Amino acid sequence: MTAAAGLVSYNTVVVALGVAAVGFAAGVVGSLCVLRKRALAGDAAAHATLVGVACAFLATGRRDLVTLLVGAFVAACVGLGMLVLLRRFTRTRDDAATALVIGVSFGLGITLVSGLPAWGYANSAGLEQFLLGHTAALTARDAWLLAAVATVAVAVVAAILKEATLVAFDSAFAAATGWPVSGIDYAVVGLVALMVVAGLPAVGAVLVTALVVIPPVAARFWTDRVGTMVVLSGLIGLVAAVAGVAASATRPGLATGPLVVIAAAVVFAVSFFCAPHRGWIARRAEASQGMASQWSDGEVGP
Amino acid sequence: MTSWLQLGEAGVGLGGIHAWAMATAAVIAASCGLVGTLLVVRRMSLVGDAISHAVLPGIAVAVLAGGRPGGPLVFLGAVAAAMLTVWLTQGLRAAGGLAEDAGAGVVFTTLFAIGVVLVGLAPPGTHLDAACVLYGELAFLPFDTISIAGYAVPRSFVAGTTVLAGLVAAVVATWKLQVFTAFDPAGARAAGLPVVGVTAGLLAATAVATVASFDAVGAVLVVAMLVAPAAAAELLTRRLHRMVMVAMALGAVAACVGYLAAWRLHTSAAGMIAVVLGLEYAAAAAIAPDDGLAARVIARVRLAWRVAREDRLATVWRAEESGNRSGARPHTPHEAMVARWLELTGHLLRDGSSWRLSPAGRREAENVVRSHRLWEAWLGRHADLPLDHLHPPAEWVEHHLGAEMRERLEADMDERAADPHGREIPPEA
Repeated sequence: MTAAAGLVSYNTVVVALGVAAVGFAAGVVGSLCVLRKRALAGDAAAHATLVGVACAFLATGRRDLVTLLVGAFVAACVGLGMLVLLRRFTRTRDDAATALVIGVSFGLGITLVSGLPAWGYANSAGLEQFLLGHTAALTARDAWLLAAVATVAVAVVAAILKEATLVAFDSAFAAATGWPVSGIDYAVVGLVALMVVAGLPAVGAVLVTALVVIPPVAARFWTDRVGTMVVLSGLIGLVAAVAGVAASATRPGLATGPLVVIAAAVVFAVSFFCAPHRGWIARRAEASQGMASQWSDGEVGP
Repeated sequence: MTSWLQLGEAGVGLGGIHAWAMATAAVIAASCGLVGTLLVVRRMSLVGDAISHAVLPGIAVAVLAGGRPGGPLVFLGAVAAAMLTVWLTQGLRAAGGLAEDAGAGVVFTTLFAIGVVLVGLAPPGTHLDAACVLYGELAFLPFDTISIAGYAVPRSFVAGTTVLAGLVAAVVATWKLQVFTAFDPAGARAAGLPVVGVTAGLLAATAVATVASFDAVGAVLVVAMLVAPAAAAELLTRRLHRMVMVAMALGAVAACVGYLAAWRLHTSAAGMIAVVLGLEYAAAAAIAPDDGLAARVIARVRLAWRVAREDRLATVWRAEESGNRSGARPHTPHEAMVARWLELTGHLLRDGSSWRLSPAGRREAENVVRSHRLWEAWLGRHADLPLDHLHPPAEWVEHHLGAEMRERLEADMDERAADPHGREIPPEA
């Protein structure tokens, strides 16, 4: 026990707390996105971030987290903007446009990150950790930054939750009663881009979508109330993030991202099977009970 | 990047190596273009994205079980993983009421995460690591050869060519079925065709094309090879068989160009191929024949120019009609430029500081003014608009009425050949 406690430094604890805050905020933001039926909106943004990370490094020569994440956020917004342009100016349909932005922007990111060492940027090592996430390199200062971003995102969601819920469930009514539907949609997508970027150091560009998709989908099984779902989704994100960070700390060189996603998937699987009313087991029991009572009434016989 | 340096140190004949690498990349890109076109026209691009991620655990399990990359066991594992993805996504929708994109988002991220962890467990020397998953190792593939009729041929090229041949044969054999299912799935089902089987076959083909590409470009960039050439081809043509051929050609060209560019720039070949595919799509969006950006801009500029010409001619005509010659004078530099152009084409003649119409210009101007006044007359009779509201719509529509329409409008008028302002309507020139 004491040996284990000795290994857990102040830095590790702060990093775990920062990543936990990001997990919570991503779960909260993600539930708005999933309710609006735009679960994969963040994936194009996520794959575009790598270009931003590389460009921020190229432009400033700095590798600190703030610089790289600002670049990633700009690139995420450019990626989402490309989607809007494709929709507006070409007849490529939404699904192909999304896949196109994912593939091409990720390819450009890989090209830049792989090329940097050969182009004379010898100190660019470490950028590829944004692919699958790696919390070991984070400092306490980085963690405070992530926590601050997460706090801002949660505050914005708290401020627009009522309006966003209305838009998610009945956008036609919201538009008819004068709510700025597209403004609220842009705000939600902007928040998703922000959380994708905040999740980048811990989960990585390839898998960070899971951070905004899996917790809300899992939380949905437990409740029919939006407020409960948002909080529960945040808590699931938090637990998954902490579990992933802890698991990756057990072996050096283990990427954090896949472990966070697997932790979230375990919570999802438990929710899918065990949740009352909406869970698979509860539904099965309900169905067979209904059948049994029908048989006992003698209405339906074998 | 280290791989290029190591290639140089290996001291192999570089020309042959590059040719083999490009040939390999081209055949797998062609396979992806073929499968991708069917995915794109059936609006299943994101299924392609999900499958290209989700095959990873299948590949990893097959390799851990002793299969070699590009071998039959690995193909089997990948197809199984792809089927698992689709089955799980549909199961989540049926049993949990999950929207399809949310379900896919859960399933493919989870499977990919499991795959990455499994790859981390693979013993060293099994040719499978995290970098390979993300970038592929196109540059190394030509070194792993097998002997065919005495020639050393890269194993991945043989696998890629086999896959391409198989996919082409399957698509050609089921062509009519593919077209029917792609454009009218409900009709195909009603006609008793095996739509579910075609869809399952397409998913399996996606998995096979992904595995064939996996060694070369990694799991994530396959989605670019699946979707980008197909989306570009869809902009360039509207016939499915041309779309398939254009997509395959675009994929193969991008593979070669991307490989060479990556070699020159010392960077990832897979990433560069995706970038070239993106550029191809951008070029297609720019030059597409009917609704490409260039076609739209040209159509707009031509319309604007025609309107400017016709307005200038009509202005000079009206000035001559009213006898106020100074009215024919251009007021803005743009109008002056249009007038000078019309002088060059023989429609206007210079008259001191002003202009007058040549016979050719008069003919054209009379038709414009005729359109304008006929439209005013028609609106005055039928639209119940006040007199001062007739001019603006006529000013707009005068450029779009043909001779036939003018005839019909004239037939609709009473005998008086004048517009509601009492001005004479010139006869058809």
